[in-house]
Amino acid sequence: MKRVLEGSHAVAEAVRLAKVQVISAYPITPQTHIVEILSEYCTKGMMKAKFLRVESEHSCMAALIGAQSTGVRTFTATSGQGLALMHELLHWAAGARLPIVMAEVNRALAPGWNIWVDQTDSLAQRDTGWIQMYCEDGQEVLDSTLQAFRLAEVVNLPVMIVLDAFYLSHTYEPVEVPSQEEVDQFLPPFEPKFRLDTAHPCGFGPLVAPGDYMEMRYHIAMAMEEALDRFDEIEAAFAAQFNRRYGPVEAIDCEDADIVFITTGTVTSTCRLVLQDLRAKGEKVGILKLKLLRPFPTEQIREKLRSVKKVAVVDRNFSFGASGIFAQEVRAALCNMPVHPTVFGFVAGIGGRDVTPELLEMIYWQTKTSDVPQKESVWMGLREVKNVD
Amino acid sequence: MNEAKNPNPLFMPITYLTTESNKTGSWRFLHPQYDEKTSPCSVACPAGEDIARIEMLASQGLFKEAWETILRENPFPSVCGRVCFHPCEGQCNRRELDMAVAIHSLERFLADTAIRYGIKPVLEKRPSQKQRIAVIGAGPAGLSAAWFLSMLGYACHVFEASAEAGGVLRWGIPLYRLPLNALLHDIQQVEAQGVTIYTGKPVSPDVLEIMKKDYDAVFIGCGHGRGMSMNVPGEDLKEVSEGLDFLRKLREGETPPCQGVSAIIGGGNTAIDVARSVVRLGGKALLLYRRRRQDMPALELEVEMALEEGVKLQELVAPAAVARDEDQVVLTLQEMKIAGDEGGRARVAPDEGKTRKVRIDRIFKAIGAQADEPRHQPPAGDEGLLSLSHTVLVRGNQGPVMVFGGDLTNETKSVVHAVASGKEAAMALDTLFREGFEAIVPKLEACRVGEGPSLSMEIYMGGQRRLRNPHVVRYEEINTDYFGFIPRVIQPRLLKEERVQSFEEIDLKISANLAMKESERCFNCGLCNQCDNCFIYCPDTSVMRDKDHQGRHINYDYCKGCGLCVVECPRNAMSLREEES
Repeated sequence: MKRVLEGSHAVAEAVRLAKVQVISAYPITPQTHIVEILSEYCTKGMMKAKFLRVESEHSCMAALIGAQSTGVRTFTATSGQGLALMHELLHWAAGARLPIVMAEVNRALAPGWNIWVDQTDSLAQRDTGWIQMYCEDGQEVLDSTLQAFRLAEVVNLPVMIVLDAFYLSHTYEPVEVPSQEEVDQFLPPFEPKFRLDTAHPCGFGPLVAPGDYMEMRYHIAMAMEEALDRFDEIEAAFAAQFNRRYGPVEAIDCEDADIVFITTGTVTSTCRLVLQDLRAKGEKVGILKLKLLRPFPTEQIREKLRSVKKVAVVDRNFSFGASGIFAQEVRAALCNMPVHPTVFGFVAGIGGRDVTPELLEMIYWQTKTSDVPQKESVWMGLREVKNVD
Repeated sequence: MNEAKNPNPLFMPITYLTTESNKTGSWRFLHPQYDEKTSPCSVACPAGEDIARIEMLASQGLFKEAWETILRENPFPSVCGRVCFHPCEGQCNRRELDMAVAIHSLERFLADTAIRYGIKPVLEKRPSQKQRIAVIGAGPAGLSAAWFLSMLGYACHVFEASAEAGGVLRWGIPLYRLPLNALLHDIQQVEAQGVTIYTGKPVSPDVLEIMKKDYDAVFIGCGHGRGMSMNVPGEDLKEVSEGLDFLRKLREGETPPCQGVSAIIGGGNTAIDVARSVVRLGGKALLLYRRRRQDMPALELEVEMALEEGVKLQELVAPAAVARDEDQVVLTLQEMKIAGDEGGRARVAPDEGKTRKVRIDRIFKAIGAQADEPRHQPPAGDEGLLSLSHTVLVRGNQGPVMVFGGDLTNETKSVVHAVASGKEAAMALDTLFREGFEAIVPKLEACRVGEGPSLSMEIYMGGQRRLRNPHVVRYEEINTDYFGFIPRVIQPRLLKEERVQSFEEIDLKISANLAMKESERCFNCGLCNQCDNCFIYCPDTSVMRDKDHQGRHINYDYCKGCGLCVVECPRNAMSLREEES
């Protein structure tokens, strides 16, 4: 059934349909709408889930680690500072091979306090062992959340569904919401491969000596690799049932393009408009939308950019002292190709600033008219800051 | 997807060994412990009632046990639940959150419930002792002394001059405050404990001499029944009488004439009782007080209800002269002015030259009372005299020890102070008989509630209460996260229109449901109510359940001393101390 939903509620609908059994969260803007409606579902009996109130995000993830260890399906949502506070336990969740699913609404980190979109919070969790999926619109959010449970549970790794603050979390769009029967068919109940059971006491996560630790980590690495294949299988199953598919990357008009934008999140939607305009002017331009950050779809990126001359990576994030983080990832993916496109890095829309079609066009022309990047990252649309005495 | 098809089987750290060998208790530098403390209400109660525990039991529906807990410290719950000035509520920690717990109403409820179901208390009683004790006066002090002495195993005979027992409770308090059956129940209970009461037996000096041969001790609690003089001209007119005598006639069943205007001189509870009784008999009552309303020793609520019922009040006036004028009297009043402060009340002095006259039909004096006879007062001097907080012990060279108590020795003349006096006398005599004179003071000191003046018979008799820390729990020591705002129960009362028509009891009963809700409001300061928060919050699973009275203990082999249990204890029944090195 088609409904008009805000991005936050698209997540919540998927969580409800996935029959999650334990939810825990600590409220933080711009995530709060997600758990607010979920708590309502729990209260009204629309979900048979236990909603755990906690005093912090750190406790929230700890609670979910405990709950998930008993073999139930779990969910949380957070944002910005909240995700940062969870950091220690994000490593734990992945190391303990717990298929927790989280919605993470990108929010800029303080100080200065800023509740608007910025991807640095989720990208800073890149190495925690969580699968990360960046979504473009409400429909993708709902579909990806449903797929996330299946993917997480099959590879035993946690998944983070990432949404732009406000542009996606608070924007209403028509979203096709599948029926419970359809979802039940796609997503069977969780069958844990291990669980805490008082009848058979054991402890998870004890001391592990160097003799075993490395292999355990290697198994997580293998599971991440496996996740790429599983993601394709799950998307195929989903497409067969619902006729929608996104891919780890989506290449738009890349076949004959000389220059390709690399985008994530809602910037992709804006870029689709710019693409139409530029194509109308005869420009040979394309877009490569990145959905998966982890596992990173290196092969797919190489494949799609094989004959491209230049790429313009739009980063709504920054790694101080280096460059935009997606630009780093793309450079790393391409550098071992004998011939590869030149990577132009652009930083735009930090802390919730608009990334307008005009700005994206400027990025295009700057990329087209330069032979080599002037810098690893060019900050777009900066205001002149006058020192105040 | 099944495991067989999974190319990457899980390789995870799992252990089947126990971590018991790692005695994490060795990391501890703070030491949590169960440490029940003292509630401020119990310190404020002159009878030292274990209020925090009483309310805890009541909140669990254990009404009999709650009532028995009162009886261990006070044989008059039915009376005190009605007429006590409840200083406990003034010290209730809950006042800082919303309003004090309605301890007074709950005491009455528990007594009413016991009466309604004919419950017989089961109380600890010592085996019989050889000493016999005579008690003179069956008022609250004498009966309390007899009650506690018989608990301690002594044979007690009470001698009462009047035809019935009860003293001021029987003859001095109007029925609308204290119905007869409420009083009789408490008295019968004292008798059921094994106390014999002889009524109509005034003890003359001769009789006392005979008694001294038969008894090992005599408790004198004859009370203050004789009025004081106003020292003004015309005071001896027949229209001028004692308020207490008026109340006594009423309680004897007479209907003294009250038509016209009766002036009542005084500001204490007797004055208010007289004024309100006059109104009930169809007369007009004019209350004359030398200070201001807020300085009255009478209970504020009593004053408020009196004024509602039509009693008129004139403040800052003192009687100067009384004269007959035909069939009425003219009372000359000296106007008073405020001349400073006296322990929170106004000190007043005559406003020279300012007098006025009121024409009235009669005057009731209610300006205080004294002992009926000087011999009821403890002797002066300090030879063989031991002055305690509520009693005076006199030990002669021969004969039994004499103990003076109740109004004769109490600074504050109240029912609950009379109970305190009886209890102190019982403890002092028992200690004297068992351990000697010198042991009395230290023994009493060991039985104080907290570090206040109140004494606990339960502590004296070696009950669990003696294990409590005397530290009085402060509001800041309560974890108020566990207590929401809950309105205090409203004591239901007769409407003022109903009140003035008869001597029906004004305060109505509250239901068991309301009583339980109200008792749940109690923080139970310092007491464990087995809420299990310590057990639930302990991150080291080091709180272990037991079958003893405490219900649990701490396993110090593994307790790391984080203190969570202490912080999460809602009622401060635990303490965290530094580990001794």
